[in-house]
Parts: sequence; structure tokens; C-alpha cells
Amino acid sequence: MGTWEWPLIVFTVLSQISIGIIVGLLGLDCRNQLKEKLFKQGVVVSGILLMIALLASLFHLGHPEAAYRAITHLGSSWLSREILFFILTFVGWLYLLWLSFHPAGKLRSSLLITSVLGLLGIISSAMIYVLPRVPAWNNVAPVFFFILTAGLLGALALVILGGKELQPEQKKSLLNWALGCIIVSIFMFVLYASTIKVNAQGAATVQFLLSSPLFWLRAGLGWLAPLILLLIGLKSQKVFTASTLYLVFALVGVGEILGRALFYVSAVGIHISALF
Amino acid sequence: MTKQLGFLHNSEKCVGCQGCEMACKNEYQTDAAPRWRQVFQLREEDYSLPTRMFFSMACNHCANPECLRVCPVKAYTKREDGIVVHDHDRCIGCRLCLMACPYDRPQFNPAQKKVEKCNLCYQRIDKGEKPACVAACIPEALQLVEINEALDQRMGVLKTLPGLPSPDITQPAIRFIGPKQGKQIRRD
Repeated sequence: MGTWEWPLIVFTVLSQISIGIIVGLLGLDCRNQLKEKLFKQGVVVSGILLMIALLASLFHLGHPEAAYRAITHLGSSWLSREILFFILTFVGWLYLLWLSFHPAGKLRSSLLITSVLGLLGIISSAMIYVLPRVPAWNNVAPVFFFILTAGLLGALALVILGGKELQPEQKKSLLNWALGCIIVSIFMFVLYASTIKVNAQGAATVQFLLSSPLFWLRAGLGWLAPLILLLIGLKSQKVFTASTLYLVFALVGVGEILGRALFYVSAVGIHISALF
Repeated sequence: MTKQLGFLHNSEKCVGCQGCEMACKNEYQTDAAPRWRQVFQLREEDYSLPTRMFFSMACNHCANPECLRVCPVKAYTKREDGIVVHDHDRCIGCRLCLMACPYDRPQFNPAQKKVEKCNLCYQRIDKGEKPACVAACIPEALQLVEINEALDQRMGVLKTLPGLPSPDITQPAIRFIGPKQGKQIRRD
């Protein structure tokens, strides 16, 4: 069984929200030109989240002062690649920040480049865990889970940040996107649980998850409750008051944090089964 | 890489004295917690006769080392003789190698907040000496060998033992002899 990797939980979830916001801004800009205020708010919040995430990741290291060395094995280490892509994303974010105060440059292409770099960072984060030693992780599921977190929380964060700046159809498309991410997350989990069961370690992971009250809390708070709220709200727009949106974001946020914690805790690796 | 050095462990000879573990600790004066070498006892489910059977395992200096692949700081290198060397000074304590090794052989030192492991006493080997664990093994259950086809074709040499992860994951440079299932003779 794995351990509670809090620095990694904070790093992965926050960085994924941050990149989700940037991708969401790009999506909105492609449909209708982004309002200046929304762009500025989105970029600032995304950057703050990214900085907290990067800072949190240092606490996972035994020697954070030597973290700069972690970029030296790009040839085969996904951790090195992850750090490279996050540094590049941060550089892209700096340019977006500059653009948010000097709106003259190429906004959409900058958002596109930063989004691509951020998504490559998220994919690299997930690939770190694709290890033959851990059958529950040795598949495409970590990549899907990490990207879904970005899509789901990024979209909800943008709805909250946007407030009155968002046009009703923009708000609706973001909420539809979040709803889609929840449905895909549930489907992915069922697929994941049924496919990893084929070996002893995978079956142990599934058994751990299904017998853990935290998993059912995660499913109830992070999937079921927001799913119902979004379905009801999308039928009649009036239900979506600011407080309902905050509630949906909080429920999904808690669900994703619990889900990520369980991702680390439930991992059962292949190991020597002998007496010590 | 011109050759692959590794260990040959004979479970028929091993008495589980942990002399190899002690020799390793003595050679490198390691802290109490990390166990670069460790003696294991086979479980009854895997070896069902009423005798205790042991095997001793340190880093397996795998042909396909996962630790080396995942390490972000290039702390691991593989020498021409196949030894996987961990550079303690480069390690930043990310512990990714711990997650990746199916044998749990990189060990985290909580005092130094770094990973450490068996480097197959490469400095002794370079001087023509045996590794400390091999030299200390009284029943000569542990040997330093070159892993090659000739060894694998020898009668009784096994690539794995019951209870060990599949060697297909990392191709470990360790081979085993025995344990043989004994024959029980009753007086009646």
C-alpha cells in the first residue's frame, strides 16, 4: 500500500487546476473574444495556483535545495520532463501576465502555446507513475485521471472567476464541459477498476478502494452530488447562484483531493513476498 | 556493457545467519534502518516442507534497471561490468526509485533524507577482491558470478524463486540454486 503523499497531492491538483484555467481561457477566447478583466483574473489566479503547486512539490524532496538537478535526465525520466514542461509553462504564464497588463500581443497563440506546454506537463506528471512495478498505475489511467482533474476543476474555477463577465452561453458551455468531465471520470473509474483486477496487485488496489469509506466519500461528494447539482442547474439556469457554484466547486475540489490521495494510498506494488 | 556481474545464491547452503548483511553494514558503516542486503525466509506456502529456507538479496544490478530509468538526477549509472552504481551525492531524495524497484532494494535513509543501495563493492572488485557479503559468507552460499548463457544452462540454476517478482520486469542479475524439495523418511 502507498502512503499519504500530501506535497504531491497539493502539487498535482493545484497545477492541474492552474493549467485547466489557461486551457479554459483559450477555449472561451476561441468562441468569443475574451473580456480583458476575465483574462487578467484567470491568468493571475492560474499563476498563483501554479506557484503554490511548484512550492509544494519541493516538500516531497529530501533535499529541496538541490531540486534544480531534477531536470538533468530528460532522456528517460518523466520526472525530469515534468519539471521542464512546468518551467516552460511558467515562462508562458509570465508572458500571459505581461499581456494581461499590456493587451497588445498575440493573446490566442500565447494561450495556445502555454496550454500545450501545461498539458504536456500534466501528461509527464502522470507518466511518472506508469511503472511496471505498480500494475494499478501501469496503464493510461493516470494520464486520463490527471487531465480530467484539469478539465473539471479548471472549468469550474473559470465559471466562478468569470462571474458577470461571462455571457450565459459561455457559462453554460463551461458547466456542460464540467458535467462531461464528471461523467467521463465515473466511466473511466469503472473501466479502470474492471481492467486492473486481472492481477493480484491490481485486485488488491480495487479491494482497498471499494472497502475504503474515503472512496465512497469521494464518489458521493466529488461525483454524485455535483453531477445532480449540475444536471438540475443546467436544466434551469436560475438555480446557479454564486453560492451554488461555490458549493459545486468545493464538492468537486474535495472529491478530487480525496481521489488523488487515494490514488497514492491505494497503489499496491509488486514486491518480494517472503518473511523478513 | 561488456559483461554483467551479479550474484549466485545457493539456498541449499544458506543457513540464514545474516552474516552477509552484517558484513555489508560493517564495510560501509551504514545506519541501522537502511538494509542494503537483506536475508529473507521463503514462506511456507512457497516451500511446503518443515525446514526453513533462506535467500539473501541486495541490489540485483538489473540489465534493465528501473531505478536508473526513472531517476531525474542521473544518480544511477551502469558500469561496463554491469554494476548499477548509485551516486549518493547526486541524490535529492525524491524516492521515485523506491517506487520503481520491484525488489525494494534502493533504501531511503531517513536521517540523511537520501536513497542508498548496494554498489556491489565495485571498489573492492576493481582491486580484485570479493564483495564484502560474498567474502563473509561462511557456507559459501553467496557468490559473485558473471551472468551469461553458460550460467543459465547449468543444471539447477534458476532465474527466480517462489515469492519473487517476475524477472521479466527488470532482468535482475541474480541467479539461485535450490531449494530442493527434500524427501521425508518416516520410521514407520
